[in-house]
Amino acid sequence: MSRASELGSEMTGEDVAFGDTLVEVDGLKKYFTQESGLLSGLSIDTDEFPPISVGRQHVKAVDDVSFEIRRGETLGLVGESGCGKSTLGRTILRLLEPTEGRISFKGDDLAELDGEALRQKRSEIQMIFQDPQSSLDPRMKIGQIVEEPMRAHDMLDDDGREQRAKMLLEKVGLDPHHYNRHPHAFSGGQRQRVNLARALSVNPDFIVCDEPVSALDVSIQAQVLNTMEELQEEFGLTYLFIAHDLSVIRHFSDRVAVMYLGNVVELAEKEELFENPQHPYTKALLDSIPVPDPRERGARGVLEGEVPSPLDPPSGCRFRTRCPRLIAPEGYEWTDEEWEHARTFMRAVKRRTFEPMTAAETRAEFFGGDLPRGEAGEIVADAIDLVATDRDNGDDAELEDGVNWAGATERLLESFAEESICSQERPDYEIEPQYGTGVHRAACHLHR
Amino acid sequence: MAEPLLRVENLKTQFFTDAGTVRAVDGISFEVHEGEIVGLVGESGAGKSVASMSLLRLIESPGEIVGGEITYKGETIFGLEEGPDGDLQRRDDMLSNEEMRTRIRGNEIAVIFQDPMESLNPVFTVGGQLREFIELNRDLAKREAKREAIRMLREVGIPDPEQRYEEYPHQFSGGMRQRVLIAMALACEPSLIIADEPTTALDVTVEGQIIELVDDLQEKYGTSFIWVTHDMGVVAEICDRVNVMYLGEIVEQAPVDDLFHATKHPYTNALLNSMPRPDRTVEELDPIEGVMPEAISPPSGCRFHPRCPDAREVCQRVHPEAKVVDQADGHSHRAACVKHDVFDAGYDESVPLEAEPQVTAGTPGGGEDR
Repeated sequence: MSRASELGSEMTGEDVAFGDTLVEVDGLKKYFTQESGLLSGLSIDTDEFPPISVGRQHVKAVDDVSFEIRRGETLGLVGESGCGKSTLGRTILRLLEPTEGRISFKGDDLAELDGEALRQKRSEIQMIFQDPQSSLDPRMKIGQIVEEPMRAHDMLDDDGREQRAKMLLEKVGLDPHHYNRHPHAFSGGQRQRVNLARALSVNPDFIVCDEPVSALDVSIQAQVLNTMEELQEEFGLTYLFIAHDLSVIRHFSDRVAVMYLGNVVELAEKEELFENPQHPYTKALLDSIPVPDPRERGARGVLEGEVPSPLDPPSGCRFRTRCPRLIAPEGYEWTDEEWEHARTFMRAVKRRTFEPMTAAETRAEFFGGDLPRGEAGEIVADAIDLVATDRDNGDDAELEDGVNWAGATERLLESFAEESICSQERPDYEIEPQYGTGVHRAACHLHR
Repeated sequence: MAEPLLRVENLKTQFFTDAGTVRAVDGISFEVHEGEIVGLVGESGAGKSVASMSLLRLIESPGEIVGGEITYKGETIFGLEEGPDGDLQRRDDMLSNEEMRTRIRGNEIAVIFQDPMESLNPVFTVGGQLREFIELNRDLAKREAKREAIRMLREVGIPDPEQRYEEYPHQFSGGMRQRVLIAMALACEPSLIIADEPTTALDVTVEGQIIELVDDLQEKYGTSFIWVTHDMGVVAEICDRVNVMYLGEIVEQAPVDDLFHATKHPYTNALLNSMPRPDRTVEELDPIEGVMPEAISPPSGCRFHPRCPDAREVCQRVHPEAKVVDQADGHSHRAACVKHDVFDAGYDESVPLEAEPQVTAGTPGGGEDR
């Protein structure tokens, strides 16, 4: 353990130069199986024989994600709840077992390491969690809390550890005399500083920060963010900064990755991503944030519907079911306007957002009276008939009020949505950046 | 100007704890006019939730409203007068608990809370709860109430409402549950809705959808809102007028544009400067020094002075009551800071207090190089 004790005083990342790749994630997947009970794997389908089948469903929390993080930078990872950003962070740390893919850290594949080798590697990678309350043991003094990782990695002797803990407490903006206090005596912002000191104690190169400031008030948030920035400079840290708050991400990151439903949909340098977003999801996210300026009241709530289930995510581009720019399927002749009407109608039928009316009324409501020409028009007309109130659907007991929502939905989705390139191929394109020179990747077929 | 819908004068709510008296709300005054969205903004511990619950007299022991007057449409929700023995006692014209329950809450003033899961009963269907609420409050027959419930669900943008009517709260997403609560709040067509951090737990795209919905519904029904939040972005987006609270007091009160563009109180200013922005890159954040003190022993003089960059000696002594410092759009702009001339407290001659203990951010000019 002689090497480990040296780590107490020196940087360990000297073998990777600043700006070179420190962490590389390649094709990383994390699937969870749903197996909460003995019979949970069983599914019953009375239409088939035998009616019971055994099969596990997978929650595809992180699905084929690749990116790199350079030494000394902050990569922001942003997305809405359930998009898989925390799972990704934990998988990179190997707190969760990756299903597939490679996590290279200074050349070693973390996904392959186990046992003692992995344990040792962990001193170089640390994590800070969202809730400063529950990530500190209330029965321990903060001095012990900060020393704990050093003890686990057999770093320094008792005196050395205490000295280092006090030094770190001061670095993170706490009074070193508070060494003997318990966490309850500290406010939320101060507790997050204790977490920072603990993470720094083993002299890591890389820290995964999972929503580190989202539980804090805005004025405290700024204090902690500033401290994190100073520490990054002083200790040469590399951060993976996970957050849902785009303002914080914009302030804190050098490059930003946007996640949606287990995929990274866009990745670019900060200025480029915020000023020149190229994925419709990123644009929608940016349009939704309330800007703290009443003269900037603008577009909002531009996204329809909700995030689909990660159990059965959409094929191709995962955002296509909500995308305002879903590409028109080939094989039909229509104008942009006609396709826009058809798309709106298709989604309204799928979500059943309108009250059934007569065929003529539906036509007027969604198409201004004129259906698209040719085959597309015939399909739309069929679908309108299926949901119209003035059409005789017979005495089918399955139908609500004689309206065949399911039939119309199937007809429209099969003919239009499934035929779009968006549902057939998974997009990944590189774009010429307008700001800076960094790589700009956008997973959207509009850039094909 | 027409008589306001709601008038709050010098409201004080205190909690009597073993450690002492917590002055959670300490003499706040504001008005809500018809069709207005009024913001109540502040950090945690500022007293904004206690203030809004006081309006409905929903303060439980050890808390108590100890002073002030709340008038709603000419009726007294809370008011005190001096009794024969010199003690303060509740006024005769104050609405009884019974009247508050049957006439005011829900029917006249409705509430939307932050966590929709806690406001819905998990063992009953969403539709059933909404129907029962409509049935009881609007005196409708069961079938009519059901039709009305489904209409309301569609109104707040819940797809396939007939189907979702039969589902349980856990089958709804957070955004959809919040829509159900909005439907419930609107069901009795109240004149005022108190929304307590209604979008805080939601994702930003869902928050956008909810704000949009509230905006549309407000236009359609003309309902007034008190919007309680900590998020200045949401305030800028939706409010007409804003009250900024700090440690139990309203320190600034202004039409929304003036609050952001002609800020009069150092706290509001500091709050705006400490925020990262989504619309531009801020290189350096300018945090507010220290933390908000406890409401149990607030600082002397101006409560913000220990953290205030503009604090001078006089700020330790003089406690400023909010005064009109400007007029805009026919509304007064009030601020509780003695640096304004109307206070005439000798601020200009007073000695500045010691500079802040730590300097973390650069000068404001440093943020411009991008």
